Amino acid sequence: MENKKLDSLGTYQENDQRQKKYYSSLFSKLIGLTLICSLVPLLLVGWLINIHYSRFAREKMIYHIRTQVEYHSRIIELFINERSSKLILIAKTHSLDYLGRQPNLSNLYKIMNEGQRSITDLGVIDEKGRHVAYAGPYDLMDKNYIDAQWFKEVMKQGLYVSDMFLGFRKEPHFIIAVKRVENDCTWILRATIDSEVFRSLVEDVRIGKTGEVFLLNREGVFQTSPRFSGNIMDKSSFRMEVPHEGTDIIVGNYEMDIQEGPAGFIIARTWLNVPRWMLVVKQKKSEALSEVRHTNYATLIFLHISALVILAVSVLITGYMIRIIQKRDRQTDQLNEQLFQASKMAAVGELSAGVAHEINNPLEIILTEKQILTDCLERSIEMDGEFREQLIRSLSQIEVQINRCKRITVNLLRFSRRTGSIIERVNVNQLLKEITELMEKEASTSGIEIIMDFEHLIPPFLSDPSQLQQVFLNLMNNALDALEAKPYGRIFIKTILSDDKKGVEVIMADTGSGISDENIEKIFDPFFTTKPVGKGTGLGLSISYSIIKRLGGEIFVTGEYGKGSEFHVYLPFELPAGVSKKMETR
Amino acid sequence: MPGKKILLVDDEKVFTENMTRLLNNRGYDVTAVDRGEDALQLIEKEKYDVVILDLKMPGIDGIATLKEIKKLDTFTEILILTGHGSIDTATEALKLGAYDYLTKPCGIDELVMKLKGAWERKESMEKKEMESKIQKVVESPSAVFDLFPKRK
Repeated sequence: MENKKLDSLGTYQENDQRQKKYYSSLFSKLIGLTLICSLVPLLLVGWLINIHYSRFAREKMIYHIRTQVEYHSRIIELFINERSSKLILIAKTHSLDYLGRQPNLSNLYKIMNEGQRSITDLGVIDEKGRHVAYAGPYDLMDKNYIDAQWFKEVMKQGLYVSDMFLGFRKEPHFIIAVKRVENDCTWILRATIDSEVFRSLVEDVRIGKTGEVFLLNREGVFQTSPRFSGNIMDKSSFRMEVPHEGTDIIVGNYEMDIQEGPAGFIIARTWLNVPRWMLVVKQKKSEALSEVRHTNYATLIFLHISALVILAVSVLITGYMIRIIQKRDRQTDQLNEQLFQASKMAAVGELSAGVAHEINNPLEIILTEKQILTDCLERSIEMDGEFREQLIRSLSQIEVQINRCKRITVNLLRFSRRTGSIIERVNVNQLLKEITELMEKEASTSGIEIIMDFEHLIPPFLSDPSQLQQVFLNLMNNALDALEAKPYGRIFIKTILSDDKKGVEVIMADTGSGISDENIEKIFDPFFTTKPVGKGTGLGLSISYSIIKRLGGEIFVTGEYGKGSEFHVYLPFELPAGVSKKMETR
Repeated sequence: MPGKKILLVDDEKVFTENMTRLLNNRGYDVTAVDRGEDALQLIEKEKYDVVILDLKMPGIDGIATLKEIKKLDTFTEILILTGHGSIDTATEALKLGAYDYLTKPCGIDELVMKLKGAWERKESMEKKEMESKIQKVVESPSAVFDLFPKRK
C-alpha cells in the first residue's frame, strides 16, 4: 500500500532505526557464524599441519647433519686407521736391523709415498729416544725424544696417535708411532702424517654458506682450521667434556651461553676413537632451517590469504542475503498491511450488513407510523391551522430522514458486497467518457475543467461495469468536492497500460484541497468522511475499495495536502478466479 | 383495488398492526399472521389475492413459504417485503414466481402500487387460464372433465 509510506514521520524513523539495528545484529551474527564454521577449522588445520610439518622438516634436517658428522668421522677414522695399520704392518714384518739402515728406510719411505703423498717423514727410534734412522725432508737425526709426551705414551701403549703439535719444525702436524719389541730390544717406528692431505680431508668439506667442519682435541684445541671460527692450534671456545660414544646434536638458541655452543648455530659432534678427537659440524641455524622457514612462510601466507578471501566472500554473501531478507520482510509487511486492511473491511462489512438489515425493520415501522398519522390527518378536519401545518412539516421531515437512513443502509449493504454484480466486457475509456459527460455540466458551472488523456491500446476486458461506474463516480464526486472551495480547478483523468501489460491504471487527479497526512491512512475506512454532516456517508471510498479489491485490482492515493490528490486505480485484464467463476454460474 | 383479500406475513407485530390499519384505511381486507406455517394453514382454507411476505421469520422462512404457497395455489400473487434484502434472495424469489420484491422501509403508496400491479397480473393470468380452458373444451369436449380437479 502506497499510503503506508506516508506514516507519521516520528514513528517511521524510530521503526527504521530499530529495523536497522536488527539487521546489523543479524548481519554480525551471520558473519560470526560463517567465520566460526569456516575460518576456525581452516586456521586450526592449517596451523596444525604447519607445526607438524616444521617439526618433521627440522628432524629431517637434524638427521641429515647427524649423518654428515658420522660419515665424516668414519672417513677420518678410516684414514688414520689405514696409516696406523700400515705402520704396524711394517713394524711387525721388518727387523730393527733392516729398518735401522738408512737406505732401507728411505726406500720404504719412497714406496709408501708412491702414488699419493701420505706421510711427511718416517723415523726409527730406539728405546733411549734417539733416531736410529730417518727418512724425510727435515734434519732430525740428532733429536732425542726421551722426554717427549708421545714417546712416553707409545712406550706405554704400543700404538699412539698424537694431537696436532708444532714440534721442532714449527708447523702443525701429528704423528703415528708404533712400538716393536724384538727379542730383547724395543724400538719405535714413527711417521708424521702429511697434515695437508689430512687437513684437506676435513677442511675441504663445504656445507652451505655458513657450515664448517673441524676437529678438536680433548683440550678443545683446533686440529684443523675451521672456515670461520679460528685457526689450527688455537684454543676454541667450546666447552669440552669427557669423550663418549655417539653423536650429540646441539641446536643453539640465540640466548644460549657462549660456553654451551655459539648462539644461533646447529652443532653436531662426535668423538673419534683413535685419536680421541671431536669432529664438529657446525652450521648457522637460520641457513639450515631456511628451507623449512620458507615453506612455513609460504603456507602461512597462503593460509591467511585464504582466510581473508573467505572473510571477504562471507561479508559479501551475508550482505547480499541480508538485503534479500530485508526485501522479503518489506514485502511481508506490505502484505500484512493489505491483509489487515482486507480483514478490517470484511469485519466491517459483516457488521454493517447486519446493522443495515436490523435498522430496516424499525425504519419501516416508523414509516408506517408516519403514514398512519398522515391518514389520520387527512380525515380530521377540526384542527388548529398552525398545528396542522407544523404536523405536516414534521411528517414530511420524518419521511425525508427515513429516506436518508434508507440511503445509508443501501450503501452499507452495497459495501458489504451483498449486492450482486454483472460481469461484462468493459471498455474503460468509454466508461470514463460516459461518467465525465454525466458530471461535465456540474463541473463547468463550478469552473472546473476536466482533462482526459486516454491510452487507446487498452483492450476491452471482463469486469463489472456498474460497480466500476460507481467507483469512478465516487472518485469524480470526491474530486469535485475537493475543488469546491476553490474558484476554479482541474480534474485529470488518465488511463495507461500497466507496466506488465496485464492491466490498466486509471489515474484521477485533482487540483483541490488534497488529503492531510493524518487522514490519508483513514480515507478508505468505512464512515470516515471530511464532508459536512449529512453530505457524505463516509462509505464512498470504502465501497470503492472493496469493489476494486473484489475485481482483483488496487486502489491507492498519493498527493500533497493543499495541492490536490491523485487516485490510482489498477484493474487487471484477468479477473480473480472466484469472481469469474461466479459469473459463469449466473 | 379495494375489497381484495390480502394476507400479511411478518413476525414484527407492530409492523403488521400498522400495515393492517393502513391497508384497511385504503379499503383492503387484510389478515395478518406472524409465521409462515400459519399463513399456509390459512391459504389451505381460504383464497387470498395477494400475500405480502417477509423473508426472515421464525419457523419456515419466506422462500420456503413462497414455494409452499405456489404449490397450493398458483394464482395467488406474492409480494416480498423484507428488511434483509439481497440481490441473491430477490432473484431467487422472482424465479420462484413472486410478483415483485420490495425492501423495507417502503412507503404505503409504493406498496399499494405494487399490490395493484400484482392484482392485475393475477387477473390476466386467470383470464388467460380460463380462455385456454374454454379453447380446450371447444376443441375437444371430453376435456371438460379435466376442469374439475380430482379431490383427494
